[in-house]
Amino acid sequence: MEWLLEPFAHGFQQRALLAGSFAALMSAVVGTWIVLRGMSFFGDAFVHGIVPGIAASIAFNLNPIAGAAVAALVMVFLIEVIHRQTALGEDTAIGLLFVGMLALGVVILSRLESYAGSLTTILFGDVLGVTLPNLIAEGILAVLVICVATVFYRPLLALAFNPEKAELWGLHPRRTHAVLLVLIAAAVIGSYQSVGTLLVFGLLVGPPAAASLISRTVPRMMITAAVIAVLSVWIGLTLSYWLGTAGSATMAMVPIVIFFALLVITRVARKVRHV
Amino acid sequence: MSELAAQASKLVLSRGSVTALTESDFTIPAGRITAIIGPNGGGKSTLLHAIAGLLPIKEGTLSVFDQPVVGVRDDVSYVLQYTTVPAGTPITVAEAVAMGRYPRQGMLRRPSVDDRAKVAAAMERLGVTELARRQLTELSGGQRQRVYVAQGIAQDHRLLLLDEPLTGLDITSMQTIDSIIHEEPEHGCTVVLTTHDLDEARAADHVLLTAGKVVACGPPEHVLTPENLTAAYGLGVLHVNDRPTLVDDHHHHHEGDRSHSHQHDHAHGHSHDD
Repeated sequence: MEWLLEPFAHGFQQRALLAGSFAALMSAVVGTWIVLRGMSFFGDAFVHGIVPGIAASIAFNLNPIAGAAVAALVMVFLIEVIHRQTALGEDTAIGLLFVGMLALGVVILSRLESYAGSLTTILFGDVLGVTLPNLIAEGILAVLVICVATVFYRPLLALAFNPEKAELWGLHPRRTHAVLLVLIAAAVIGSYQSVGTLLVFGLLVGPPAAASLISRTVPRMMITAAVIAVLSVWIGLTLSYWLGTAGSATMAMVPIVIFFALLVITRVARKVRHV
Repeated sequence: MSELAAQASKLVLSRGSVTALTESDFTIPAGRITAIIGPNGGGKSTLLHAIAGLLPIKEGTLSVFDQPVVGVRDDVSYVLQYTTVPAGTPITVAEAVAMGRYPRQGMLRRPSVDDRAKVAAAMERLGVTELARRQLTELSGGQRQRVYVAQGIAQDHRLLLLDEPLTGLDITSMQTIDSIIHEEPEHGCTVVLTTHDLDEARAADHVLLTAGKVVACGPPEHVLTPENLTAAYGLGVLHVNDRPTLVDDHHHHHEGDRSHSHQHDHAHGHSHDD
């Protein structure tokens, strides 16, 4: 029992567990729709797209959350511009912005004295350095994200089912898509301080993908993803304490391991049933 | 009830920059079955989209139940030709049919007794009650089409639009959906369907023949004449025993229905898009 409790004996460790859990809950709920709508590449690009906003905020001593939000808006706007103004597919537009925004972020950071430290913190987070105000802000954001996602459950399901049907049912698919983008932005921006922009993607996609292997309805997938995500944070922090590994990276790796474990278990179970 | 479910005057429709239907006039009688038939790319699905309010009208007028299309959306239920749910989406049959009640429930209202009764009745009528707990992605193409029609009739409607509802189905699904089509007018509903099958069109009360415009409109015996069909299909029409028959241009099958047999004695064509 001691090896389970000791990693969370101190205040900063407890804050890390709570911050990681808030990030996990937000990411599981939003990530379920990312996985169901096949938007993983967009999600990946999105989490990197906010890097220049945070970098600029650090350079000019501004609020990093505001910087991340502006960068997210710029990225979505430019993806739409490329998609509408050219014959290129949306994936190409996303790819261009993915590289462009990440490179811009690194260029801005390279002008700073604490280049390596800032870049590492943005990309990989600093889960053990989460302060109480950070934690409160993240908690409020998590509650908001979960409430909005719950209210928009039917429009989001209809959109995942078929955008034309969503339109026919009066559930405004364009508005719903915009709401989903805001939810993704909120989850990413709310989580990056604790998990980092690179690793928040692991929590966005890993737990929902693992949950999809064993869930038969969307609400169950969401709840299962949330359980897997929170478990991943707890297991990740415990392992990182005992193994001396990076907390955020260990947390992000656990849901991917859980995914492959569930994949093997479900496939073996299916074979056994058919024997 | 209005005697006309829909009425168009000098209607022009386009998909992007391509004109799909040039200036057309037609009427669709209320409480009857109307079939829209025509060659690939002739504007059949475009017309259904416009009646459903999914496509803006480029020129002319189109009214549904004597009102502009957007004003009657709550009265219209549309079963699309290609409702492809992404693989891996965990939606059960019961949940998919219950989505037909979303227009009444909106974003937050809990399902009422009436909602549940209508969903159960729709599932019963389409013979999918036994499949209620199955995943949509586990079903055959014919079973899935029955689920989509159940979803369509679970929705409150006065006008039911069906885009090629019988194309590429197994016989059980075809017969089940065909009986629904013919039962709907008994409930006071108007049915408009698109088809490539001349026999289906002949079995309707009213026919629109489209080929880039509405070539003819009226009772099947007045519309499906050799002259009109030749005008619409050109060389695609054969005359066998003095009866027009459409040349089979290409078959397509719904996924999971690769082995379906066809019960009609004539050839027919299919389209994926128009």
